[in-house]
Amino acid sequence: MSLSTASSLAIDLKTQALANARRHGSAGDALAELEAASFPERKSERWKYTSLQALADGHLNAVATDEIRQPLPALSEFLVTINNGQLQGSTLPAGVNLHHDAPTVNGLQTPFAAYNGAVCGQPVVLEVAANTRIEQPIHVQIQSASEAPAHCNPRVIVKLNTGAEATVIEHYHAEGQALTNAVTALITADNAQLTHYRLQGEQANTLHIGTLIIDQQGISKVDSYQLMTGNRLRRNDVRALVNKSGAELNMKGIFVVRDKSHVDNQLCVEHAVPNCQSDQNFKGLAGESGKAVFNGRIHIHPGASGTNAELSNKNLLLNTGAEINTKPELEIYNDDVKCAHGTTVGQLDAGQQFYLQSRGIPAGEAKRMLSLGFVNELLMALPHPAVTEWAQPWLEAELTHASPAGDAA
Amino acid sequence: MLEIRDLHATVADKPILKGLNLTVNPGEVHAIMGPNGSGKSTLANVLAGRDNYEITGGEALFEGKSLADLEPEERAQAGLFLAFQYPVEIPGVSNMEFLKAALEAVRTAQGKEEWDSVTLLRQARAACKQVNLDASFLKRGVNEGFSGGEKKRNEIMQMLLMEPKLALLDETDSGLDIDALQTVAKGVNSLRSPERGIVLVTHYQRLLDYIVPDFVHVLSNGQIIKSGGKELALELEKKGYGWLTGEEESA
Repeated sequence: MSLSTASSLAIDLKTQALANARRHGSAGDALAELEAASFPERKSERWKYTSLQALADGHLNAVATDEIRQPLPALSEFLVTINNGQLQGSTLPAGVNLHHDAPTVNGLQTPFAAYNGAVCGQPVVLEVAANTRIEQPIHVQIQSASEAPAHCNPRVIVKLNTGAEATVIEHYHAEGQALTNAVTALITADNAQLTHYRLQGEQANTLHIGTLIIDQQGISKVDSYQLMTGNRLRRNDVRALVNKSGAELNMKGIFVVRDKSHVDNQLCVEHAVPNCQSDQNFKGLAGESGKAVFNGRIHIHPGASGTNAELSNKNLLLNTGAEINTKPELEIYNDDVKCAHGTTVGQLDAGQQFYLQSRGIPAGEAKRMLSLGFVNELLMALPHPAVTEWAQPWLEAELTHASPAGDAA
Repeated sequence: MLEIRDLHATVADKPILKGLNLTVNPGEVHAIMGPNGSGKSTLANVLAGRDNYEITGGEALFEGKSLADLEPEERAQAGLFLAFQYPVEIPGVSNMEFLKAALEAVRTAQGKEEWDSVTLLRQARAACKQVNLDASFLKRGVNEGFSGGEKKRNEIMQMLLMEPKLALLDETDSGLDIDALQTVAKGVNSLRSPERGIVLVTHYQRLLDYIVPDFVHVLSNGQIIKSGGKELALELEKKGYGWLTGEEESA
């Protein structure tokens, strides 16, 4: 590939995206949205820490079609499997209807989400019937694989009707050089309660550009737990629309970057109506040359009085080559609100490390224990044992990798 | 078992120990006393291998091996144990998980039989009971939210499980009420054996009423200026340190 400047890459990406959309027969609003979108330049504020240079390898020129070699384990008896953007199969309880008649997703902003909308032929909609309580989690496995650079566009919409209660585990896995360009929307009506997991552990050379929309159209409660490791490029745009008075949103997350991996989290909670509550609590760990970004925005619109919004992002740098950029962003157009935020970046505590070593625990193991201890509170807060059982070894493996023994930093 | 010869050490480049000599044989209990700032805690931390505590001269040999050549964990694996003056809190790492990792490392290094989780739990509960610590402390984060006395008892509990060859207790008596002091002393006394050395670093004679030392040393300005039997501690209690150091003690 020839050297291409950021701006010509942005133009290339748009040209590819539009060509794909037209070939796909995309028309109407979806195509219009993509036509209006511009792909980010390096100097664009929202993308300043994330280069799209990896996409110059031509991911948008091909569609991922390889077989999944290491499919995810089932974390529940109820499963939905989507491979390379295509629905493979599902086992669902009574009260959950899988269909493809997707409602409009509000609040999408990135060109990648627009592209997903223009080319995703068959969105997977999981609709939970009114006043139905689904006891077991629904495990939605979203897998992609491609040896050569290629992409896919899964689109999942979870809709909880009035009084519905459910747990959805959104779980990504990718192999080879696949780019997963995903859109997920969670839509909740009055008295709905949704527990949502977003688990993202994809192989090192894969790319992930994902948008998560949480659209609380009714007085509802959404608890979202987001666990992720970095890969060659991971971008998460999470936007929550807390849109009815009395709604409550809790987001907790852990991100780990190691080697040369990358995670860019852009979170935004929009409070547009009075008397809603939101809480964001994320912890990040960066080792080796890993790079993580956390931008947490709380936007309180005029009229959204009585809002109670909190944001916390604490980070741990495991060595000097790693990088974490964190920024809270508050935009408040109201006096009568309660808003708290805090972000920190720290290092492992030398006193704690000496204490563990003085009891015979080798330096590398001490680091691993302290790193795990740093995020343990969030891990222990996961309400479903099946997820905790999956997450614990997954995280331990990531942390073992991120802090090799003998690294004296 | 511990041979300290003309030891010089700095803390963050400031000279603190200035030619210290001390020999501890198996089975002996030594008390190191001295005014504030004399180097007592420095000695304990230098021996345990804390960062920024650097040996600049002389040597400290543990069973013939130079401690300076060993990482902190290697010293622990060799059988050295430091009960901290200020044990740190480690939220997120449970006491039990911590004990498991520590005992695994130490017992493996010493060629002792590995404890399975049932044995470990049984031993840990027994050790807790011995120092009057509720077994629920095993599930909590290491020292997290423990009171001063609970932290000190947690140190002794760990020591009972680790069965060190040489135990260094750094001001373990500070901040303890009389009941806790007796509990801690009982724990330490239960470890007295012909194979084990114990070094008590303390400012006050009080602890020595309960753990009677074989030898008492007075540390001042980085050197041991006087050594004697247990009666030396009583004399110090009566006369203060000024009698030996030639200074008025301010504390």
